Amino acid sequence: MLEEVIRSKARKLLEEKRVDLIIGWSEGTVSLKTAPKLCRKPEDADQLVWNPLCSVNLARYLKYYKKSPEKIAVLAKACDARAILVLLKEEQISRDRLVILGLPCLGLLNPDRVAEALPGARSRDLEWKVGKLLYRGQPCDTSLLMEETCRRCRHHNPPLADEVIGEPVGEPGYLHDDYLERYNRMDPGEREAFFNEEMTRCIRCYACRNACPLCYCQECFVESTRPLWVTPAPTPFDNLLFQVARSMHMVGRCVECGACERACPVKIPIALFPIKVEEIVQVEYSFEAGLSEESAAPLLTYRENDPEDFIK
Amino acid sequence: MNREDWEPKIVAFLCHWCSYAGADLAGIGRMQYPPNVRVIRVPCSGAINPLYLFKALREGADGVLVSGCHPGDCHYISGNYYARRKFVVLKQFLEWLGFEPERIQFSWVSASEGQKFSQVIQEVVDRVREVGPAWKMVKDYVGHA
Ligand code: SF4
Ligand code: SF4
Ligand code: SF4
Repeated sequence: MLEEVIRSKARKLLEEKRVDLIIGWSEGTVSLKTAPKLCRKPEDADQLVWNPLCSVNLARYLKYYKKSPEKIAVLAKACDARAILVLLKEEQISRDRLVILGLPCLGLLNPDRVAEALPGARSRDLEWKVGKLLYRGQPCDTSLLMEETCRRCRHHNPPLADEVIGEPVGEPGYLHDDYLERYNRMDPGEREAFFNEEMTRCIRCYACRNACPLCYCQECFVESTRPLWVTPAPTPFDNLLFQVARSMHMVGRCVECGACERACPVKIPIALFPIKVEEIVQVEYSFEAGLSEESAAPLLTYRENDPEDFIK
Repeated sequence: MNREDWEPKIVAFLCHWCSYAGADLAGIGRMQYPPNVRVIRVPCSGAINPLYLFKALREGADGVLVSGCHPGDCHYISGNYYARRKFVVLKQFLEWLGFEPERIQFSWVSASEGQKFSQVIQEVVDRVREVGPAWKMVKDYVGHA
């Protein structure tokens, strides 16, 4: 099993002292959730897991090691690897201190949906095998159990890895479905009402920002008091402004992993904001974040004939 | 304040090298434009952070205008080209979320375009007047008319 391969590779890396630290996932304390796991001793590697509930984007942890001399191995789903690629481009970590263990990924499952459809399921009961989701070894209906951000995923294989563990993913065996499309199709008033309603639920815990691998600012605008850009009170409009400004910081950087959305305790589909921004970037500037080391980030370059019909 | 007494309040972010000088020229030339605009001079349209625009709306502006040098004329060579890319994303994103497009407007005005400056201001004020007060964005909003 893949999990065994991962554990033995991790154990070996630590035994041979090729890395000081391995960042992976382990079984969580809450059912159907995994937890990030930092391994420093070879025996820690036995706790690593790999299943369709490994939802934390582990690239997020690299921000704590920017200045440390340690060598780090990190398990990386395709979107984790894309985030690492953006971090490398932005010089947030040096390549020679990283060992990227890439994991082709068919997608994550939504714990609530799994709990409802498969009562008693544990994360280790679920695995992907040749494009099919198996529950205790039996194939089961996939698409309704998946995270929305994963059903729209276009890049299932890590764009960057020192070693890829597992077979590359071809066409996934389930129906691709882009939830952004559903919101794009709404009439504008309906969409506005939907988001305004969602913003009344936000408690401004900042879990979305904190889970994002690319929100690494030491001082976030949202906590600045001079000037006070956004008031700390979680009023609906302040909540909206926080999300709008955060999304503007994601332009050409968001890798559409959905980690922000999965972290939200009140289940706001908050990844729609940065994902919409990325759609605009893709249409206007033919750019997708975290796919290539060379192409210039869209806001760090320009063309003389870029569109401007909205400017007087 | 009642809706009847309301006059649009516009905060205009003008780049030092072109649009601010254009505004100056409009003044020197005695060109008429509505007095609804409060000018903030910035070094370059490329220096505009979207947070500045939201801040103005939060503090009570009904609309904001960002104006810089025409493409090719930037004092810093390319600041306005970068700005333009940022504004494309900002504008489309805000409209998707349901912001009224009238609230945030953009123009290129050169130092010699005093006439254009007064026209742009007239147009911005007219459009904001049509959509009315932006009270729901104001910080202490408690439910005006
Ligand atoms: S904004 Fe959300 S979807 Fe985008 S990279 Fe960050 S966590 Fe992932
Ligand atoms: S929202 Fe913006 S300022 Fe805050 S951490 Fe993210 S990128 Fe930095
Ligand atoms: S995680 Fe959810 S509740 Fe918390 S700040 Fe983000 S959107 Fe709001």
